[in-house]
Amino acid sequence: MFRIMLQKLWHKRWMNLCLLLGSILLIATVVSFPLYQSAACERMLQDEFRSDMAKQGRWPAMLSMITVSKKDRQGTAIRRMEELMAGLEGQLGIAVKETLYYYLLNAQEVHSAMNRTDMGDQSLRLGTLSGLPDHAEMLSGEMFSEKGLTEDGSIEVVVSQAGMVKLDLLVGETILFDNLKDAEGKPLKLFIKGVFAEGSGDDFYWQVDPDEMENVCLMQTDLFRRMFTGENAARYTITCRYLPLFDYESIRSDQVASLAEATRFLTEESDFRSTMDRPAYQDILENYLSKQGRIQATLLILQVPVLIMLGAFLFMISGQMYEMERNEISVIKSRGSSGGQIFRLYLYQSTFLTLTGSALGIPLGAVFSRVLGSARSFLEFEDSGSLQIVFTARTWGYAAGAMAASLCIMALPAIRHSRVTIVKLKQQKALKKKSWWEKIFLDVILLALSLYGYYSYHKNQELLAQSVLMGEPLDPLLYISSSLFIVGAGLLFLRLQPLIVQLIYLAGKRFWRPASYASFLENRKNGRKQQFIMLFLIMTISLGMYHATVARSILQNARENAEYLDGADIVIREVWPELQDENGAGTGNYLEPDVTKYIELDWAESYTRVLYDEHGYIGESKSSRQEVTVMGIHTKDFGEITWLPVGLTEKHYYEYLNELAVEKDGLLVSEAFRSRLGMKVGDTLTCYNSQGLSTTGKIVDFFEYWPGYTPTATVVNPDGTVSVGDNYLVVTHYDRLRQLWGVAPYEIWLQLKEGYDSQDVIAWIQDNDVHVRKFTDKAADVQNAVEDPLLQGTNGVLTMGFIVTILLCGVGYLIYWIMSIRSREMIFGVLRACGMHKGELFHMLMNEQIFSGLFSVFAGIGIGKLASVMFVPILQQAYAASNQVLPMKLVVNASDMMRLYGVIAGVMIVCLLVLILLLLKMNVAKALKLGEE
Amino acid sequence: MENKFVIEVSGVNRIFSVPGGEFQALKDINTKVPCGSLAILRGRSGSGKTTLMNIIGALDDPTSGSVKIDGTEVGKLSGRERENVRRREMGFVFQAVSLIPTMNAFQNVEFSMRLAGIKAGRERDKRVEECLKLVGLGNRMQHMPAEMSGGEQQRVAIARAFAHRPKLILADEPTAELDSAMAARVTRLFHEMTRKEHVTILMTTHDVGLMDAGDMIIELESGRQVLHDQEV
Repeated sequence: MFRIMLQKLWHKRWMNLCLLLGSILLIATVVSFPLYQSAACERMLQDEFRSDMAKQGRWPAMLSMITVSKKDRQGTAIRRMEELMAGLEGQLGIAVKETLYYYLLNAQEVHSAMNRTDMGDQSLRLGTLSGLPDHAEMLSGEMFSEKGLTEDGSIEVVVSQAGMVKLDLLVGETILFDNLKDAEGKPLKLFIKGVFAEGSGDDFYWQVDPDEMENVCLMQTDLFRRMFTGENAARYTITCRYLPLFDYESIRSDQVASLAEATRFLTEESDFRSTMDRPAYQDILENYLSKQGRIQATLLILQVPVLIMLGAFLFMISGQMYEMERNEISVIKSRGSSGGQIFRLYLYQSTFLTLTGSALGIPLGAVFSRVLGSARSFLEFEDSGSLQIVFTARTWGYAAGAMAASLCIMALPAIRHSRVTIVKLKQQKALKKKSWWEKIFLDVILLALSLYGYYSYHKNQELLAQSVLMGEPLDPLLYISSSLFIVGAGLLFLRLQPLIVQLIYLAGKRFWRPASYASFLENRKNGRKQQFIMLFLIMTISLGMYHATVARSILQNARENAEYLDGADIVIREVWPELQDENGAGTGNYLEPDVTKYIELDWAESYTRVLYDEHGYIGESKSSRQEVTVMGIHTKDFGEITWLPVGLTEKHYYEYLNELAVEKDGLLVSEAFRSRLGMKVGDTLTCYNSQGLSTTGKIVDFFEYWPGYTPTATVVNPDGTVSVGDNYLVVTHYDRLRQLWGVAPYEIWLQLKEGYDSQDVIAWIQDNDVHVRKFTDKAADVQNAVEDPLLQGTNGVLTMGFIVTILLCGVGYLIYWIMSIRSREMIFGVLRACGMHKGELFHMLMNEQIFSGLFSVFAGIGIGKLASVMFVPILQQAYAASNQVLPMKLVVNASDMMRLYGVIAGVMIVCLLVLILLLLKMNVAKALKLGEE
Repeated sequence: MENKFVIEVSGVNRIFSVPGGEFQALKDINTKVPCGSLAILRGRSGSGKTTLMNIIGALDDPTSGSVKIDGTEVGKLSGRERENVRRREMGFVFQAVSLIPTMNAFQNVEFSMRLAGIKAGRERDKRVEECLKLVGLGNRMQHMPAEMSGGEQQRVAIARAFAHRPKLILADEPTAELDSAMAARVTRLFHEMTRKEHVTILMTTHDVGLMDAGDMIIELESGRQVLHDQEV
């Protein structure tokens, strides 16, 4: 049986190679999905932890517990906590890098043993911090010894620099507690052995700031525990802090859910809940989980059409193969072979192909996922290299599923074919039938469904935006409607295509040259056989176009939105020292930093001062008060540094600035003043800053958008509903506000010179010790927006999908044509014998290619355009960031389209070349079986 | 001026290169077929019948010697000119059924007329009908090849071969796949056509029973002509 199978495989090696290719691609695509997804999620999780650490300056994954052991008889409180710490790793399922134990006795009065007169009454806390000797750096003196005691029985302690200053101690001095006594009742003696500070570098250990240890002396940990805990705890009150530091780098994305749950249990339900607050990392985990769910679901939905096309490809090729082997099968069957035997033969063959496919497909899947990770935009790659590819149980599960699917698609049709005897075959062949989908009007049904989806989403765009805010994944129905539209329109075209060809035929019926005539008739008779490959072609192209537009549009919108929100290249708000009166109270007046320094900088093209007060208001009485943001600008400089996309506002951005420039007390206000408050141009408006100082001016115009301005604020309420409120913005002259309101902290909006970036600015800020309260970096924000894992993943999946489908389409198209020519070799021989030239035969095939191939390409382009125009605006909503302000627009990038057309043209040309080659090689005599010799 | 002979074969040799040497398929063939006759080319399998047919049909070239069709030496024509000769001056009937499956009987016949450059019009349509009636298929003109029996298909092929009024019809074992009654009918049809249409027909067969139908017989044995232009 095995030998028969291998012979069979070899006999139809090209077809089997195609099946193998389909199987490889199917498995690789399916496998790449969990691989990429977990790698991307891993990266996202680590990024979240790292950015939290950068922002907060503390270890991002730790718990902080406090308990006070008050003269506890058996020392149970401490013992229980210490047991908890020891078991924490197992309880949470996370590696603990180090657990800090920070124990402090109550503050007690001390005096110096040297009877120093310069030392006043001091009270200090004796304590211990675990691991201190390994991490501290001694500024003077030494670390306490292993034993922790001096020869005369004093406890060796070290103090921080802050403690040294505050307590006014000397290294080498001995101090005595007045009331704090050891177990035997003798007052405790401390020997100050040294002063410590944080070690150099970013040592994660320093989660307890030595600067806060102003009245703390730290001793050896084991000694502390022997002396004050356990049996002895009954005499002391000890404040115990526990800081387990988790190794966040070891958290795998699939552990997040269980870790979050275990943490929640610990902090909210366990007996220890009162000792700790909700840890900061819980937010990171939960935020991650909601994002992960959205990304996973979205990417999965985007994969579906590709997977279906892969399945269809396998189905088509295996169908072709069965078609070719129908005669053989029916002959074997009629000679007495059982259906089971035939099925087994095909089952073995399919198993062989699937196993070979998986051997190649699984490694290819890893390559695919790397490609996915490096997709920057549609059909655009950039190796970022930081994706960690790890095979998990889930990956193998997906691989097994793909293998099963591949096997079923290849082997199952054999059941049907193994039942056909030669008699039935002849009968079947004689039947002419309409495709099943034509009979049930599948095209019309699909189109109707998709259009229904289109209209309902079109009407409910707000609901869609709302669900995005709540972190819900891309609505599968929405994406499916667009896919259904493409399939439906493709089928409709297939229904119409024969009519179109017929029409062309009738138009010139009497004049067609023999070659054209033959091709028309060929199309009329056998056109239906091509429907599958044509649908494939249409779907490849239209999905490709649609996906390119989706990918480009969401990316471009995210980019422009980020640029808009930041307003200028760089915005800096320095720390303004507040002037104090003689009592040290704030006066509300500030010391203005020197701004002329900005103009001398290498990297600044220009700068402008912008007063930005977010807590201004309008309206006299409390009840009618409306919060507004007041912005003071220099119209000319501001206009040079900022920009608005052309077409975003009714008038050009500069026109608004000009209107303001000519009116000394003019006010430019946001649209809400008109729509909500009923104001009009020329109205007088008084607005107040956060200090209650007022300015009155005349409204010169209303704008919908302004650099950095968010017109509406969308808030997700605790009950899950979403409410939208207007933001009010008043823009006026900076100089006038300065006159009226005095010098108030302003922002510097900067334009960078060509060739400089924010790194230069940051370096400058650090070098010159500029204290910055707010720093906005447009390039970095744009980068962040674009590097969103969801956007990246979408680009990757769509690009991958396109490459896979175009590959399939090319191979499928070629196979179809080779099969078609092979099966008609005889006819070509007859035509040649009747005197048709090769040129005419070629012309005939060209015609057929035009009817099927070129028509499909054009249909695909048309359908793709239509689908983009209809569905991209809705789909974009699903990708909108929560801070999306600018209206979404459809972005069709000419170079994307050129690349798309280029790939398609390449495939078609290769197909054509192969066909020409095939035709040239064809021997008339051989085709006709002439010439016995 | 009308040529007396449609086919003039003189000194034709055909040598094929085969692995390990050469094989002489035809050895010094000389024969002439007069206009309006039904000539039968006879011989066993491998005797060189089809090779000679291919050379006469300008599908193959002789290694030496010459072939004149209606006075024109085919060997001196370009590929395109030969194709035109085949399209206009010749009709072909093949052993296996060779209709174009995408065309019905009418279209199949019409197609050879298109190839021969005959303009569309009432005339052409009438001629197609006439030819199909002549082969006895006047009532099956709209049928597709798959809907007809082998004999019917072969008759359509014959109608196609003479519809464009060629000078010569080459028929390679046209009766091989037919039963004897049908074979006799087809041969009778050929004979009738030489009378009615004044066409010359060269037909190969290995069926001894059909020998008497022809006007002349050329018999080949292992590439040699053994029976020379025998008038029956």
